[in-house]
Amino acid sequence: MSVTIKSREEILEHLRVVLSDLYELKPEQIVPEANLYADLDLDSIDAVDLFLTLKEITGRKIQPQTFKDVRTVSDVIDAIQALTSKPAG
Amino acid sequence: MSGTGRKLNHVWRIFATGFVFVLFGVGALFISLTMFPLLRLSTWKADTARRRIQRAMQLTFRAYMETMRVLGILTYHVEGAERLREPGRLIVANHPTLLDVVLLVSQMPEVDCIVKRGLWRNPFLRWPVSWAGYLPNSEGEALIEECSATLRRGHSLLVFPEGTRTVPGRPLRMQRGAAHIALAADSEILPVTIACDPPTLFKGNPWYRVPARRFHLNVVVGTPVAARDFVRGNEVPARAARRLTQWMLAHFDAGRTLRSDLGEASAAAWLPGVQPFTR
Repeated sequence: MSVTIKSREEILEHLRVVLSDLYELKPEQIVPEANLYADLDLDSIDAVDLFLTLKEITGRKIQPQTFKDVRTVSDVIDAIQALTSKPAG
Repeated sequence: MSGTGRKLNHVWRIFATGFVFVLFGVGALFISLTMFPLLRLSTWKADTARRRIQRAMQLTFRAYMETMRVLGILTYHVEGAERLREPGRLIVANHPTLLDVVLLVSQMPEVDCIVKRGLWRNPFLRWPVSWAGYLPNSEGEALIEECSATLRRGHSLLVFPEGTRTVPGRPLRMQRGAAHIALAADSEILPVTIACDPPTLFKGNPWYRVPARRFHLNVVVGTPVAARDFVRGNEVPARAARRLTQWMLAHFDAGRTLRSDLGEASAAAWLPGVQPFTR
């Protein structure tokens, strides 16, 4: 599944669906400033899951390094934007 | 007990605790460098050596527990110990004290443990821990993978889901790694509740600050549950792991509150016992 995602708002909407479904979170908890680990209680295993899910959604190869520095929902959005702005490959 | 007697007993327990700490350190090194290599050489088969070494660990830790009991540092009681000896389960325990591993391993002839991965960089200890079949506390996925593999081979594995000792007075917190291991292995989970009364050797409490009286370690081995009972339909493991971890938290919290009554009862049972140097 590959979707073309443009604005940050759209990406956030998408993340709300994905994160609340994967980790039993309330959609309103998922705000850009929320910290994945401290606020949303994800652990390193969840982070790997999320990483794989995003790989599926964006249809792009994601370097694990890109995800090492991700801390907040906003960082995730940045990472997705950076990925989808590049040509597929 | 008279005031002087109590004071003498207190000083004695500080001395005895210090002695036991030294005994642990020296003993662990000595055993790793003598008994473990000999046991490894006692057979060609790595798996036979692993079982012999784990059995030796049990006997060593049993000796430590008995030394501490005889010295008047502690008393202990294990309820349902026979269930600890049934293989192939993930044994999860709460972690109130520094002695939890010693006490639990002293009850199990065969169990895999997770130990600091730094030991694999230690030129003396890397081989003993490998021969014992112990697992390094690597990160995330790798750890889940290795731990679930060992369970699938039919071994027992001991895990403290809190990741570190409990901080008294704070709500119990657990990482979800233990749940992920059980789910990945599709194994049973055996919950073990440990209570220490009065609290001692907890996180942040130095060894020489011994409690007002000899402490009692009470272990209650629960009944096993299957990890798959926490999985609903085709959901992702992340959700089942959350549910399973919640269950563990509730189980140990109930055990901890129950503990105050249990602790009193068991304390009453052992208080009239032998008190060294107080007569």
